[in-house]
Amino acid sequence: MHGGFTFSQSDKRPIYLQIMEQIKQRIAVGDWAEGQPIPSIRQLAVDLHVSVITVKRAYYELEREGIIVTQHGKGSHVASTPGLGARLHEQELEQHLEQATRIAAQLGMRPKELEDRLREAGDRLAEKDLI
Amino acid sequence: MRSSMIRHLILKDWRLNRMPISLSIVLGLIALLVAQCGVEAVRLLGSVWFFISLCVLGSMLPGVAIVNERKKQTLAFVMSLPVSSVQYTIAKGLSILAMFLFPWLTLLISALVVIETRDDIPHGVIPMLIILAMLPLIGFCIMSAAALVGESEGWLMVASVLCNSSYWFAWYLLARMPSLAANWGRPVAVWNPAAFMVLSSEVGSIALIMAITFFFQSRKRDFI
Amino acid sequence: MTDLATDLAVELRGVSKKYRYFTLDNIHLKLPRGQIMGLIGANGAGKSTTIRILMGLVHQDSGEARVLGHSMPAEQVAAKWDIGFASEDMRLYDSMTLGWHMSFIQSIYSTWDSAYAHLLLKRFGLRADQKIKGLSHGQRVKAALLLVLARKPKLLVLDEPTTGLDPVARHEILRELTNVMADDSRSILFSSHNTQDVEQISDQITFIDRGRIIDSMDKEAYLDRWRRLRLEVPLGIELPALPGIIGVEQQGRLAVATANAFVPDLAQAYESTGAHVQRVENMTLEEIFIANVERSREEVEA
Repeated sequence: MHGGFTFSQSDKRPIYLQIMEQIKQRIAVGDWAEGQPIPSIRQLAVDLHVSVITVKRAYYELEREGIIVTQHGKGSHVASTPGLGARLHEQELEQHLEQATRIAAQLGMRPKELEDRLREAGDRLAEKDLI
Repeated sequence: MRSSMIRHLILKDWRLNRMPISLSIVLGLIALLVAQCGVEAVRLLGSVWFFISLCVLGSMLPGVAIVNERKKQTLAFVMSLPVSSVQYTIAKGLSILAMFLFPWLTLLISALVVIETRDDIPHGVIPMLIILAMLPLIGFCIMSAAALVGESEGWLMVASVLCNSSYWFAWYLLARMPSLAANWGRPVAVWNPAAFMVLSSEVGSIALIMAITFFFQSRKRDFI
Repeated sequence: MTDLATDLAVELRGVSKKYRYFTLDNIHLKLPRGQIMGLIGANGAGKSTTIRILMGLVHQDSGEARVLGHSMPAEQVAAKWDIGFASEDMRLYDSMTLGWHMSFIQSIYSTWDSAYAHLLLKRFGLRADQKIKGLSHGQRVKAALLLVLARKPKLLVLDEPTTGLDPVARHEILRELTNVMADDSRSILFSSHNTQDVEQISDQITFIDRGRIIDSMDKEAYLDRWRRLRLEVPLGIELPALPGIIGVEQQGRLAVATANAFVPDLAQAYESTGAHVQRVENMTLEEIFIANVERSREEVEA
């Protein structure tokens, strides 16, 4: 259930952020369903071979964002908010779009150009049957 | 709990030093055999060899069982166990004393048996034999104390050289004491006041060495 | 005795020790129960001395050392029943087998877990019938760790447990150390100059350099305080000295500012002077370690 978490050494972001991201991804793609119990802080720390305090921080931030819920004595679970998975997935899209816009601005592209590029990318993927 | 830790350490030392102990006993017994056969010169050689094997054992044990523990860095392993430096010293002292006494007593008793069973050796030599046999025991205590307190091969070597070179001098002095030498040839063992005095000062000096060792060991602030 | 005292697995207060060429000066350290502390320092910084003092092997000149509630070195025997110690300069008996050592430890401690010991033998790739003198360096380290891990002590004190090990062995050991944390009553204090290991598994970090503690705190909070700000400085603009910035390196129009007390306002403070903040980066523990040591040595020399 918690296999598959990996930390890249070349990823300079703090480990707790990487954990948060990977948890959000699992919820976004539906591997972890709404309301589903998740490993306790200590258990995840042991499984990932990282410090308890790092997992604690990841869980704390995730709870603040309303993504998971921790109940004292009962462990943690994915928030039961309906549509959470989809919402997270959309958040991911937003982040990518913002980044694309930022880079396009650095390159001096106008919004219309960016739109065209987006359409072209979609066509390319469709050609390869990837979407 | 306390006494069982000391027991564990003693047994551990015995197990580790099986080889040197057995070797010294074997050598000593061979020496005794040689001391009994035929020619006078060979017998003399045998007796000297007997004495020497006790001295060698006395020098070797502190090196092997005490200094090596520091040199080979196994001391940290032992001190990570639930023991204090005082308990360590007690256990170490007892284990090497036992390691020495076992062959020492074996050889001494064998020598006494030889004297008992053979008609041509007067029993008058017995007190002298015992007094002389005590010398390597005292030397052993001095060397062990030096190894424990001094914590290095250097100190052990100094003590070893001092002791080994003093044996002959002590032997010479004791053999020349008229009150002791007079009774060599008697058929019966004679324990006169002089013999008692020498023997008790020998035992007393061992007790003193032990007390001094404990005093210094317990005052150490940096055990490792 | 209040609960507060026993909630700390390790507590050092004002501990000092003077040697001929080295002084350990006024060491303060706190490790709460159930946590892992990584002690980082260069070679000769004082890590081993600090550890020896808290094991009761060396008597401090001043200050208090309490381990699992016991005062050290006075109560070292009681404490050592619950402490598992392994250090880089510790050796096992060459002429004996690993199995003999395991039996020896088992005969002393009732908490020895045979099943776990055999599992560790497999995981570490060791055999009980091997003599210690036939083991490679990495195997010896693993053997010593096996002996302390299998007893499941309340506190593990490890002096450089991963030094000199190949990446696979390091990974095996880090895995076993984090496994210990499944039990929240057990704690670990380990020293290392491998910042990656410390960054990965420590809850608390303590930096020690030349006998003095530079920093000692919660790892996440600590990492959060440090940032590198990459700045673009137009000609004619001079960068101001800002609180929380411990150093700025500038070459031409590009500058790198190192912050050890970062707040988001700092980036804005730079922007308001006309400099442009290109990036704000997190720093690895190694980068923080080096920056810290350099700063601390400058301060001492000043």
